[in-house]
Amino acid sequence: MKIFIDGNEIEVKDGETVLEACRRTGTPIPSMCFAPGKEHKPSCMVCMVRNEATGQMMPSCSTYPTDGMRIDTRSDEVLQTRRLAVELLLSDHRADCEAPCTIACPKKLDIAKMLYHYDEGDYPKAKAYVASVFALPQIGCDDCKAPCEKVCRRGTVDANVPIREIVKKLAAMEDIPAQGDPSLLSHIDRTRFSSRLGAFSPQEKIRLKETVTTPSTCLHCACLSKEECTLRDVATSLAIKSPRFGVNSLQPFKAEKKITGKLVFEPSKCIRCGLCVYNTVDGFTFKGRGFGMQVILPEESYSHVSEEVASLCPTGALSLGH
Amino acid sequence: MCQDCQEKAKEREAMLRRAEAIIERIGKTRDKIIPLLQALQSEFSYLPSDVLERVYDLTEIDRAQMMSVATFYSQFRLVPYGKHVIKVCNGTACHVKGADNVYDAFRRELSMEGDSITTADGLYSIENVGCLGCCALAPAVQIDEKIYGHVQPGRVTEVLEEFEKAQAAQEQSAKEEETTPPLGEVRLGMENCCQASGTAEIFAEVERCKKDLDLNVSIKPVSCIGACNQVPMIDVALPDGQIFRYPNVKVEDVQEILLNHFNAGSPLKRFRNKLFRSLDHFHNDTVWESDVWKEPVERTRTINNFLTSQKRVSTEGYGHMAPLDLDEYISNGGIEALKKVLSEKSPAKIVEDILASGLRGRGGGGFPSGRKWAMVASQSNPTKYIICNGDEGDPGAFMDRILLESYPMRVIEGMIIAAYAVGASEGIFYIRAEYPQAVIRTRKALQMYRDAGYLGKDILGSGFDFEIRVFEGAGAFVCGEETALINSIEGKRGFPNLRPPYPAVHGLNGCPTLINNVETLSQVPYIIRNTSSTYSAIGTDSSKGTKVFALVGKVNHGGLIEVPMGTTLNQIIEDIGGGVEGGEKLKAVQTGGPSGGCIPASMCDTPVDYEALKGLGAIMGSGGLVVLGESSCMVDVARYFTTFTSGESCGKCTFCRVGIRRMLDILDRICTGKGKMEDLDNLEYLAKSISKSALCGLGKTAPNPVLSTLRYFREEYIEHIGGVCRTGTCKDMVVYQVNDECVGCTKCSKACPADAIAYTPYEKHYIDPDKCTKCGLCIDECSYDAIKKVPLKEAEKKSETQPTSVA
Repeated sequence: MKIFIDGNEIEVKDGETVLEACRRTGTPIPSMCFAPGKEHKPSCMVCMVRNEATGQMMPSCSTYPTDGMRIDTRSDEVLQTRRLAVELLLSDHRADCEAPCTIACPKKLDIAKMLYHYDEGDYPKAKAYVASVFALPQIGCDDCKAPCEKVCRRGTVDANVPIREIVKKLAAMEDIPAQGDPSLLSHIDRTRFSSRLGAFSPQEKIRLKETVTTPSTCLHCACLSKEECTLRDVATSLAIKSPRFGVNSLQPFKAEKKITGKLVFEPSKCIRCGLCVYNTVDGFTFKGRGFGMQVILPEESYSHVSEEVASLCPTGALSLGH
Repeated sequence: MCQDCQEKAKEREAMLRRAEAIIERIGKTRDKIIPLLQALQSEFSYLPSDVLERVYDLTEIDRAQMMSVATFYSQFRLVPYGKHVIKVCNGTACHVKGADNVYDAFRRELSMEGDSITTADGLYSIENVGCLGCCALAPAVQIDEKIYGHVQPGRVTEVLEEFEKAQAAQEQSAKEEETTPPLGEVRLGMENCCQASGTAEIFAEVERCKKDLDLNVSIKPVSCIGACNQVPMIDVALPDGQIFRYPNVKVEDVQEILLNHFNAGSPLKRFRNKLFRSLDHFHNDTVWESDVWKEPVERTRTINNFLTSQKRVSTEGYGHMAPLDLDEYISNGGIEALKKVLSEKSPAKIVEDILASGLRGRGGGGFPSGRKWAMVASQSNPTKYIICNGDEGDPGAFMDRILLESYPMRVIEGMIIAAYAVGASEGIFYIRAEYPQAVIRTRKALQMYRDAGYLGKDILGSGFDFEIRVFEGAGAFVCGEETALINSIEGKRGFPNLRPPYPAVHGLNGCPTLINNVETLSQVPYIIRNTSSTYSAIGTDSSKGTKVFALVGKVNHGGLIEVPMGTTLNQIIEDIGGGVEGGEKLKAVQTGGPSGGCIPASMCDTPVDYEALKGLGAIMGSGGLVVLGESSCMVDVARYFTTFTSGESCGKCTFCRVGIRRMLDILDRICTGKGKMEDLDNLEYLAKSISKSALCGLGKTAPNPVLSTLRYFREEYIEHIGGVCRTGTCKDMVVYQVNDECVGCTKCSKACPADAIAYTPYEKHYIDPDKCTKCGLCIDECSYDAIKKVPLKEAEKKSETQPTSVA
């Protein structure tokens, strides 16, 4: 069977979808709810293409070609539709890709990772980040206006994380030797899309104040999957800066749960694509409907899922920790 | 173990035994989940977690399926409810008549606080429901099985008292068999709407009179006449064929009506009746005022107008045929069509006839039925299904309910003919669980068909085997979409699938499936009996036959109507509906429910026709016609429907789940006076993109109410952005104020449920804006028209220039 992709004729293999045919023949199409060889149902609508004959928009991941079909994958209309789909997903995606403190640091100290190790009690590792930036025992925080502390999300809850104090404290741990390593510097690629968490509701502030009691008080807002997040990649490729219709979600931030092994489930980042639902048996499931529909994993079913499921997740909702 | 604990453990054991028996009865496969949960819930009033654990143990159903299904359908409850459940209808007709205030009034009356939906004593729970299908009696409320119509906020106390009284005195009198032929027949509609207006009480009174006065008459509950706003209505039919019609009957009129037509059996009783009757007249002058004494023309004029402009195909036999009398159905031409096809016609010929008739799907889209039938018929798969789609979820529509309650015989006949034509061996009625009466009657009618040999093995000796079962929907609007409906029957969430493949090719259990709407099937026997050319002579070029509408909203005579295609909206509203209620000017007509649009009054000379309505940005839909007057706010109408679809979206695709919500965010801003001009562009962009790109029909059509109001009533949106809701409907944009007409009669103060009006006799009253909930009760009470809804903006301006004198 032959079809035309943007005017170019290609041969379609048996049982292939439009998306698979396009990708195989070198036309890239973004997608989030589709994973090769896995059970999936069209939901994210990021892979939209247009049927030139009817003008209809259709999700290419689930559309089977018919002979002579003419598909448009790159007109403005198609790109605008994909863009809107991603913007809508982002408007319900409560997450920071990068921690604001790390973005803000003029010295490129990876504050997020430092604080993670600090809270784990792994001071040598934490100190290594400091040592990579500063020629210890000198530190550059004294004359710094500390933009990191000004943008700290915790600051909007009660008080910001005392980042400079922690840096000093680590620097002062003389019994811990520290080796600088340039690869530990933060390297934030500003050309990539970066999701912003937005403001906390009063109720959420109370909850966060009561539940997040790490030694540093850090909320650990940076996403664990920031490097390999399909949502972020797609948003970047469509040149999205921020969702046009604001961020307004019913999903609570920091309601993450440790499932099994290193697997962590953070529902506020979920885009309800359903890949984890369709590819586990008596595991993840949908709850409710409409805008409030969630993906949940009942506690009784924790043992029914394995770490591998994290690789299916197109966002940081399912990840394997640090 | 303490005594108490032992008791509890015993109770729990007993509960589990009951649950096990139910599981045994319903079945253990995954596709049985919905009927199973329905049965469990009707036994325990909710789904106790212990019972669910037992379901996991004993059936194929696992926790993931349970959570996903039980939380998808609004029927299922995972927490216990109060003893009685109050369902406040939030259908379109009820909404435009103030259902929100009714809900608030019940909560206040029952002192429900915060988010709680159950009273502290556990006696009542309250919930908003999509649509009870009693739109002609809006606002409607259902308490347990009993429906109440015209429940204004001020009537809430009365309704609760009435309900409690009825609870206390629940007794049933046994019917007495008559031996001599009756002198005549008293006919009453016993549909939901009739019952909501008190027909049950009338029925009881007729039975009482019959007994006490010794009248030999038969009492017959009949199909809906459609004049739903004139009920309770009694027809007295005499053996000579004369029919006397009495609309709006009150309980106290019944005796008078009966004695007017019938005499008692024994001479003594006859004398006694006559005596008491004249004494009654002497003592009680109310009788002279009664409708009964009016001339027949005067009495029934409005109804006769209502009825004569109509054309009956689906509702043939209205008002005189009993819904569940197969013999009567047959003597009125029923089953003729079935016999004809089984003996004379090949399946292919029937499909041809349906194609030639021009019949199009009545569920909304208007796809030519003949083509759908042909597609299913051409499939070679030996197993084929036929589904009758009775999941009428549109708020403001009740056509399918009435057709199934009043004319189940006709729908079933149509379904058997369709099954024969396409070669289906099994049929399924998918009926909303909110329509218990329709479910019961359809089941009974099916049994009658079976007993008569019209259903089952070798129907009428033709060798054709066909069986039909009933599947009760569990409350999800999206299940009206055919692929979602199929998923729901298979025991899954009502997620629609991408089409193609169409159900005609790959439907229920992967087999070819014909899905037709209730009304579509009910037109089939007529086509076969009267030939397709007779049928196609009715209607317009592209739309043939008749269409059943639920005419509701601000119209004088609402109800169920059936008109030939091509009738104009104005004809419907003026000739049949008797004009807009309260002498208001017509503003718009909303057709097609949440998937449809608002047609402005200036375009209401448009004929009812699939293409014509589509051209105006509305759709035919399943047939809800909501009349809106000048006092209806069009932005509020758009927000109402968007709220509805946002909650009913299945949640699967991004455009529908998130996109509709973003539209709603913008509408919320506009309706609370926080809108900006660029919101309109964003709203329009979102709406257009969603129509183009959503996965299924629900999502694609959900923006229609917004798009059509933006198209015809954009100036109202702009006014809202400027801070004015001209109708005062958008509560956040008005304040209630007392003007100088006030004489200080204190009626408003007594009526106010929020204590916002101080008791100040003979002084101009003052409404405390901080306490006022804007429920409108004071406006209804005031006899001097002294309370006005003033735009917030104006009120603020005024208070700046002249500070309010009363504090």
